[in-house]
Amino acid sequence: MADTLLELDGVSIRRGIDIVLSDFSLSLVEGQCIILHGENGLGKSTVIEAAARLLPMEKGEVRHHKSMVHDSEGRRKSPKFPFGLTLQSNGLVPSQTIQQHLETVCAISQMECDLTPILESYGLAHRRHDKIAHLSGGQQRKVSVISGLIPGMLSKKPRLILLDEPDSGLDDASIEILKTHLNQLRSAGHGILIATHNERLFDCATSLHDLNEESKREPESCEPWEKIGKKAESSFLSTKMGWKYNASTLISIQRNWLASLLVVGTLLALVEPLSISDQEVLIMGFVLAPAFTMGLVGDSVTSMLQEQRAIDWWRAQVQSIPNSNIESFLSGCILTTFSIQVFLQTFDWRIVLIGGLVGFATTFCLRFLQLSTLRLARTNAVFIRLLTPILILPWAMVVEFCITL
Amino acid sequence: MRVRHGEVLLATGFLGIMTTLFLALKWAPSVSIDAFASPAAQRIFYWHVPSAWAAFIAFSVLFVGSALWVFKRSPTGWRLHVAGSEASLACGLMAVWSGCVWGAAEWGTPWDWSDVRLNTFGLLTLLALFLVLGRQSQPDGIESRDTFSTFGLYGFVLVPITYIATRIWQIRHPGPVIGGGEDSSLSSDMGLVLLLGAISFTILIAGHMVMSARITEYEQRLERLQNKVDGRI
Repeated sequence: MADTLLELDGVSIRRGIDIVLSDFSLSLVEGQCIILHGENGLGKSTVIEAAARLLPMEKGEVRHHKSMVHDSEGRRKSPKFPFGLTLQSNGLVPSQTIQQHLETVCAISQMECDLTPILESYGLAHRRHDKIAHLSGGQQRKVSVISGLIPGMLSKKPRLILLDEPDSGLDDASIEILKTHLNQLRSAGHGILIATHNERLFDCATSLHDLNEESKREPESCEPWEKIGKKAESSFLSTKMGWKYNASTLISIQRNWLASLLVVGTLLALVEPLSISDQEVLIMGFVLAPAFTMGLVGDSVTSMLQEQRAIDWWRAQVQSIPNSNIESFLSGCILTTFSIQVFLQTFDWRIVLIGGLVGFATTFCLRFLQLSTLRLARTNAVFIRLLTPILILPWAMVVEFCITL
Repeated sequence: MRVRHGEVLLATGFLGIMTTLFLALKWAPSVSIDAFASPAAQRIFYWHVPSAWAAFIAFSVLFVGSALWVFKRSPTGWRLHVAGSEASLACGLMAVWSGCVWGAAEWGTPWDWSDVRLNTFGLLTLLALFLVLGRQSQPDGIESRDTFSTFGLYGFVLVPITYIATRIWQIRHPGPVIGGGEDSSLSSDMGLVLLLGAISFTILIAGHMVMSARITEYEQRLERLQNKVDGRI
C-alpha cells in the first residue's frame, strides 16, 4: 500500500485579519503529484508553508510520513525524513556560492553527491562557484528549485517535495527540464506538492486542487529518477553552518567587532586609563564593555538569514537554525583580552573567560529577541531593541563580581 | 446628545491632577529639612507616586487584555491591550521623568543602573514604548496581535518584581510610602493630596482607555469596510 507522505488534517490558518484556510485537509501519498492552482490570495502558498511547519495554525495538524510535525497547540517536531522545499522568495543565503548552498541541502539529507549533472541540466555548472548574490533573478530561482528537488533526487525511499511557484522567473528550457525532473521523481515514488499558475506544469500532476475540489488526471509517463549520491553523516549542522556563514562573510567582524572597537576607541578618547586606575568599578566596566557591546549588536548570522527568507527555509528543515554561539564566545574572549591590555595592562584568564561568557550570553539574548518577532510582517521595523536595557543590570553585576576576583 | 464617558472622565481626571499640583505646590506641608538633601524637590512625589500608581493599573489592564487575546482571541482583549499599553507608556514616562528630576536633585544623579526598582520600572516603560511603536510599525493582523500580546503577557512578570523591589533590595530608591510599615507614615495632609492625585490619575487613565478602546474599535470597523471594498470578505 502506498505510504502517506503528507497530511494536512482540518487545518485553519489566519494571515493578517483574514482566515485564509478554513478546516482544510489534504493527503499526499507516494508517487502522487498534486498541483494547487487558482487565483491570487486563495491560500496556495499558505498550504505549502503550513506543510513546511512555518505557519501557526488555529486548528488542525500537519503530519509527515504519518508523524505529527506541527499542530495548533504550537508543537513542532523534526520530520523523520528530510524533505525538499522551495519557497516563493527563494530562501537562499546570498553570500554563499551555488555549490556551498547545494552541499548544505545534501548535508541536511545526510548525503553527498556529484552536483555537476544537475547543474548542467539547468545551465548553472559554469557558475557553481559564484555567490548567489551575483546571479540573475532567474538563476537564483533555479538554485532554489534545485534545492527543493535534491532531497528526492538523493533518496531511493519516497520523499516529500514542496514547491511554491517553482516556474516563476524560469525560461522555457528550464521549465521543460523541471517538468522532466518532476515526472521522473514522481515515477520514482516521491510525493510532490506544487503551488503554481503555470498550466504547462499541469502535465506532471496526478491531481489538480483548487483548494475546494481535487480532480484526478493522468500524468505523462516516464522513466523513474535514478537515485544519486551516497551516505555522508553530518552532525552539529546548525553550529557548523553558523561558523561557515561567519567565516565566508566575516559578518561578525564587520558588525559586532567594529562596534566594540569603536567603544574602546571612544572610551580612550575620553579617559587616560592610568589616571583612573584606582577606580576599580569604572576600569572593570571599561574592560567588559567591548564584549557587552559586541553582544548588543545581535547575532549577525540570524540577521543575515533574514534576507530572502533563508531563516524560514532553515526553520522548516531543522529545529535549531544556524547561529553565532561559538563566534560570540570567542569574540568576547578576544575583545576582552584586547581591552584588558588597554585598560589594565595585564592578563587575567578568568576575566577573559567572563568576557567570553558576557559576549555569548548577550548575543544569545539578542537572538532570542530577534527570533521572537519573526512572525511579524516587518521584522526590521519593530523596535525590539528597546528591550535590550534589561541586560544592563546583569552586566553591571558581572562587572562588580569581576572586581572581587 | 450622546454622553461621551471617555471625554468626561478625561476632563475630570485632568482637573483633579491640576488641583493636586496646586495643593502640592501651595498647600501641602514640606518635609523635614534634615531628612532629605533637597526638601523642596520632595514635592514632586505628589506627581511621581500617583503616576506610578496609575502606571501599575495600566500595566494590569495590558496584562488582562493580552491574556484575553492570547487565550480567548477576544477583540475586546485586544482593545484593552492597545489602551493599556498607551496608558502604561504615558504614566510610565511621567513617573520615570519625575523620578529622574527628583533623583538629580536628591541623589545628584538622575538614574542608577544598579537599583532594581528603577531598572524594572524603566523596563516596563520601555516595554510599553516597544508595544506602542512596534504596533504602529506593523500591519494589523493575527501575527502582530499574537506577538505583542505575548510580550504584554510575559512583561507583566516585572510588575510584582517592581512592587517588591524596594522591600527586598533597597539600594537607592526610597521604601514604600504607603503600606510600608512604620517608616512609611505620612502626615494626614500629605496623605490627602497623595490620595487626590492617585484618584485623579486613575480617572484620567480610565478616560484615556475608554477613548482608546473606542478609537481601536473604529479602526477595526474601517479595516473591515476597506476589506469589503477590496472584495476580500
